[in-house]
Amino acid sequence: MKGIWYYMERDLVKWARGKVAVITLLVMPAAWLIFVGLALPVKFTGNYLDFITPGILVMTMLASSLQGGSLLMFDKVLGFLNKFLALPSPREDILFGKILFITIRGVIQATVILLIAILIGATILSPFQYGMIYLILILFGVLLSGLATTLALYIDDHDTYAAVNTLISMPLFFTSSALMPYSVMPSWMRDVALVNPLSFAIDAIRSVGTGQVPLLQMGLLFVVGGIVLVVCVRVFRNMTV
Amino acid sequence: MTAIETHDLTKYYGDLCAIDHLTLSVDNEIFALLGPNGSGKTTTVLMLTTLLRPTEGTATVHGYDCATEGEKVRKHLSYVPQDMAVDIRLTGRENVIFFAKLYGVPDPRRQAEEALEIMELADRADDLVKTYSGGMRRRLELAQALVHNPAVLFLDEPTLGLDVAARKKIWEHIQELRGRGMTIFVTTHYMDEADKYCDRVAIISRGSIRAIGEPKALKAQLMKDVITAIISGEYSPVELSGIRYLGRKENEVTFTAENGREALPLIAESLSALGMKVHSLSLHEPTLDDVFLNVVGSSDEPRSFNDKQFRVMLRRR
Repeated sequence: MKGIWYYMERDLVKWARGKVAVITLLVMPAAWLIFVGLALPVKFTGNYLDFITPGILVMTMLASSLQGGSLLMFDKVLGFLNKFLALPSPREDILFGKILFITIRGVIQATVILLIAILIGATILSPFQYGMIYLILILFGVLLSGLATTLALYIDDHDTYAAVNTLISMPLFFTSSALMPYSVMPSWMRDVALVNPLSFAIDAIRSVGTGQVPLLQMGLLFVVGGIVLVVCVRVFRNMTV
Repeated sequence: MTAIETHDLTKYYGDLCAIDHLTLSVDNEIFALLGPNGSGKTTTVLMLTTLLRPTEGTATVHGYDCATEGEKVRKHLSYVPQDMAVDIRLTGRENVIFFAKLYGVPDPRRQAEEALEIMELADRADDLVKTYSGGMRRRLELAQALVHNPAVLFLDEPTLGLDVAARKKIWEHIQELRGRGMTIFVTTHYMDEADKYCDRVAIISRGSIRAIGEPKALKAQLMKDVITAIISGEYSPVELSGIRYLGRKENEVTFTAENGREALPLIAESLSALGMKVHSLSLHEPTLDDVFLNVVGSSDEPRSFNDKQFRVMLRRR
């Protein structure tokens, strides 16, 4: 168990010292929030910022998690993974440390986005509601970082990883309920959006905003996340003897 | 308890045999696995460090089976791969403490300090590794490796890519660790370094050991002098009494003889008589390179390059 913490600590210190990377990952969600959230003329709601903020929070987690997989890919390519695998600490700790770090980083970045949203006029919620939102973001982060690290185990170079990352994140974001409610979507898109895991998380955060407790969506995220983790551990064990 | 023991250790990558029934016993020494690229050195180390499962045979490290008691094996060894993987955004000290914690040593800070001191990095310990030279980074890896005082240390090409002074320093440190009672298993393709610094060497080619012993004993298998001739034209075998043909590497033909000075003109004459043009002749004392040539026969280029097999091999690593 301690190993997970040490591996996470390593990535956290490395990340905090790379000043440019800390900011760049925030630029895209912040731009969406400000330029789309404040500027897009929409008719289905009076406060589009409040509508889009859950979508952007989830998008922040998505971008951060998918990018995070490349950390494991680099550890593998640069020879760190082999060194770690030869250590007596349980090998799965490497994987869980990575997932923990990626999720923590995502939560930190989502917090910054949330503060920006509040600053430019999003409605302030109760502490309990924020707690629920964080719980949803964490469940979603574990799901996505599990997925990203599994992919990273199969991919050996950065270009391919970046391409796969874009291939997954763009369609996933645009076919979710992030930008518009189901009622204004074309029907073909609604069908996709309803089974998109991004939508589970976004819808859950929206219903928290209206004062509900979205047990169904959270349960779904929990179950899917669990399945992804099991697959991830199996792949990892397979690849490392 | 023997530090490293293998019995009929074999590894196939698909139908490519990387290691062929390797039987070894290494204890309380600096042992070098010596061979060209692709001869199976790294594969052997990966199996001994539990990173790769053997196809056949057994290996034990510090008495524990590498296949079934992985965690116990890893508790007693350290492995420094050839890639030089240290975190450049962390300081030297942070790099070592990180490993100390993962090894579960009782007092990580103090142990790390000690390891850094042994590797003469104490005065630079709080600088970011970004500012370290190649030799310092390698020493930092050694510091990481010895922080838990392992019984066996595996070093894969420890001096690859370093300059002469840095190499010498690394070897001096390795000898010092040997003095502290560690068994050190290195792989290298630098024959001169193995000759100078290792207690015992094994020459490996195409996955099997061709010669094993102290460098001095291996060199004694040859006669007192070694003669190398650079020729052009098709080589045809030369038969001379008292002179033994060792092998050929491209246009260099090597012989060994008891009395090199007398052998020189004889060799030149018979080579010319057989229609070869002799460009130069040189005389030197036997080296491990000559031993290698003797036991392997010709220059040991890996078999015709098979791209598919090579990729299978890389993936399995």
